[in-house]
Amino acid sequence: MIKQLNSILFVLSIFLMPTIYFIIPKEKVSEDEKRKLATIPNLTVKNYINGYWADSVDNYIDDHFPFRQKFIDLAVIVQSYKGIHLEHQEKIFVGNKKNELQQHHQGKDKRADLNYLADFEESYNGSLIIIDGCVYPMGGGNVAMSKRFSKMVNEYAEELKGEVRVFSAVAPLSSAFMPVEKYAHYYGQNKRTLAAIGSSLSSDAYFCDVFEELDKHKDQRLFFKTDHHWKPLGAYYAYVAFCKAAGKAPVPLEEMDKKVKYNFLGSLYQKTLDPTVRANPDTMEYFVPKVASTAEYYGEYGFNNPKKSKVFYHSSSGGNTYSTFLGGDVPLMKINTTTKNGKKVIVIKNSMGNAFTPFLISHYEEIWVADLRYSKQNLLDIIRKNGINDMIFAVGMYAAMSDGTINMMRRMGKQNGEYIPPKKVVVDTLKSANPIVEDTLK
Amino acid sequence: MVFSSLTFIYLFLPLCLFLHSITKSDVFRNLILTVFSLAFYAWGEPMWIYLMIFTAFFDYLMGLLIEKWHGKPWSKIAVTLSVIVNLSLLISYKYGGFIWDNLHQLFGYLPFDRPMNSLPIGISFYTFMAISYVVDVYKGDVKAQRNPLNFLMFISLFQHLVAGPIVRYKQIFEQTNSRVINWTRMSEGVTRFCFGLFKKVVVANVAGALVSKYLDIGFNDLSSYEAWFGITLFSVQLYFDFSGYSDMAIGLAKMFGFDFDENFKHPYAAISVADFYRRWHISLGRFFRDYVYIPLGGNRKLQLRNIMIVWLLTGLWHGASWNFVLWGFYFGCFMIIEKLLDGILQKTPRILRHTYTLILIVFSRALFYFTDFEKLKTFVVNLFYSKNPIGAGFQTDVLEHTFWFILVIILCIPWDEIFDENSKVRIQTVNSYQYVKPVVNVALLFLATLLLVNSTYNPFLYTRF
Repeated sequence: MIKQLNSILFVLSIFLMPTIYFIIPKEKVSEDEKRKLATIPNLTVKNYINGYWADSVDNYIDDHFPFRQKFIDLAVIVQSYKGIHLEHQEKIFVGNKKNELQQHHQGKDKRADLNYLADFEESYNGSLIIIDGCVYPMGGGNVAMSKRFSKMVNEYAEELKGEVRVFSAVAPLSSAFMPVEKYAHYYGQNKRTLAAIGSSLSSDAYFCDVFEELDKHKDQRLFFKTDHHWKPLGAYYAYVAFCKAAGKAPVPLEEMDKKVKYNFLGSLYQKTLDPTVRANPDTMEYFVPKVASTAEYYGEYGFNNPKKSKVFYHSSSGGNTYSTFLGGDVPLMKINTTTKNGKKVIVIKNSMGNAFTPFLISHYEEIWVADLRYSKQNLLDIIRKNGINDMIFAVGMYAAMSDGTINMMRRMGKQNGEYIPPKKVVVDTLKSANPIVEDTLK
Repeated sequence: MVFSSLTFIYLFLPLCLFLHSITKSDVFRNLILTVFSLAFYAWGEPMWIYLMIFTAFFDYLMGLLIEKWHGKPWSKIAVTLSVIVNLSLLISYKYGGFIWDNLHQLFGYLPFDRPMNSLPIGISFYTFMAISYVVDVYKGDVKAQRNPLNFLMFISLFQHLVAGPIVRYKQIFEQTNSRVINWTRMSEGVTRFCFGLFKKVVVANVAGALVSKYLDIGFNDLSSYEAWFGITLFSVQLYFDFSGYSDMAIGLAKMFGFDFDENFKHPYAAISVADFYRRWHISLGRFFRDYVYIPLGGNRKLQLRNIMIVWLLTGLWHGASWNFVLWGFYFGCFMIIEKLLDGILQKTPRILRHTYTLILIVFSRALFYFTDFEKLKTFVVNLFYSKNPIGAGFQTDVLEHTFWFILVIILCIPWDEIFDENSKVRIQTVNSYQYVKPVVNVALLFLATLLLVNSTYNPFLYTRF
């Protein structure tokens, strides 16, 4: 009797879930995660042979499992019974180490429809830590790479000596300001990395001490909890650091229009899909200088067919909230402002620079913004033909900590619209000063 | 596909169980199992299926020929050929890159490119099964399978395909032709499967997340305590991962009417290294004993050499990398030492022998984990002498996993050895457990499902081999 019951209960359980699946209505979009749920592609020989179809079915079942969200929420509660609870809830999200099978299963990302996730994954494949629903990368750069970054900046400063002031404004990682004592070493690591950039810049280049400025305000939230970018407030303090280096007076926050966006679940949530992160969406306050501006942007090559653009996209929302600034990443952008002082600047940036750039409209009549990954136009040409006065490297540390991106920035001065495939850089992790970060900050 | 995936539990298994149960015809059942096994194998990585089908048909034919020529010299030639072909496939697919690297290092230049094959899943397991089959037919221990479909089913059976156990044909040859499925088997199978799934998802995956934290991310800042903690957790992960898989395999086999032999018997209760390997991955140890150790002369001639050869090969079986060879050498040495000091060991108190074994085993996991010798060296130095302070996270991790650790310890204790079959406590416990078992099993399945729906970390370690 018991044997029958045991067998039947089990069989019923494994038949029950598929049956429920057919009964309940199917959703195409996950409202909570702001993403499309996986679909199953047509079964073709090619799809099947390369494993894509099977992966899609796995993803589909994962995504459409009956009561999925309730299961996930319950799982979080169950997992909290592993031991005794402490003040802070922590969870490590392992990024770097994937074995074959995992790669296999995660190979085709079902979440790629989000703007900045690909951006984040491209620049960072290391581990993340989730503390009380807030995600931090585990790293803080390293001095060896700082020197290589500074060398590249120095080359531009040397080349443009007497013509253009070259500034370096590299952002730290959010790991610098973690609220938990035991991760305090990331504070020091970020600080050392950025200070090393300053100390290895030549006298021709200008150093914006972004870290110092952010550090003064570390009691405020300077980075998003669910996204790898800084909040506009963090970008503002970087702007203050720039003003100090450039001998300008920063516009006080009170003199700008403050706007707010709610319920932002950014790239780090998309990456971790962690329920505690989902429960803590970000609120984004941002500041609009009282200066009118127009903008246009160009494709990767040349200057033909500029398209209309804006400094602020006030309607961006949801997973794309960060695209409020400059509308996201475009190869090359030109902004004209009503600050009629004849001053011109070019910003070399990755997505971190997007939140930084809008503050400059109070100080420059013309602002060029070149994305180091996409712009194939020659940087020196732009600078010389347009009579640009200042050049700012406003990048997140991700971009300064890899030979790949440093070389991209170096090539910007040499390229002429043609495509140069990036060289593969193999870093010998064991011999470098800080292998973990070398590993993670590629 | 792996057992601990939603696709397997809620799509593959119900479909396969249903189709398998609608008929009593053995031919139809075997056909269903074969088709499902091939689909299981080909899920997401279909390109190597030809290799497995080739192996199956080649050894099927060889089996027939060996039997036909039984007692004649041709028979010996056929079995030798079969073993050579099987091993050649294994070597070229599994060790091609490794051999190339070493030759390249030796000569500096090779006239051909490095073979870029990815490791066909399960090749180490099914190749050994095929070899054991032809050798057993040659020795006359078992009759050759006449039906090619049944033989293909034996080789490809999804229950053991990806990560063992290495099932010997002589264990299940009757069941490949005809099987009895009854409530007893089904119920035992269900219980075993749910328990295995629990071990994998609730114990091994949790350990795995911690292992990564200590042995990958925090690798450079480890204090000695943390290094031992990390490597102990890896020992936990390895055991629960692999034995959980074996439990699921044995359980699934029972549901479909097969009896597989046990693959694990509380290894962490061992009192010597030799004892450990009588309890750990038993099917592999038995294979090497029967097909390498004994043919080499066993304990009759050159025993110590034979032990070393077996262990070097066992190491190499686990992976195409020198650290696995070192791992094998390490155990070979201790096996030999234990043989030589047998008298002293016998007189040593049990608790000391147990401690000695555990330390050796846990330490050996480092050789298993780090394929990079530089990293291994750093780690071993940290194990014994580290200047790094204990990270603040250590205490948190221990506290946050307290109940989980207690669970792990309870699961590692050999209760069935402490309370023998006639003990009153055991009989009473087993009897009263009978009544809650169905509910417990469904609860374990539910718990595992919860965590799987929520999971981001769910690889099986042993499918690498």
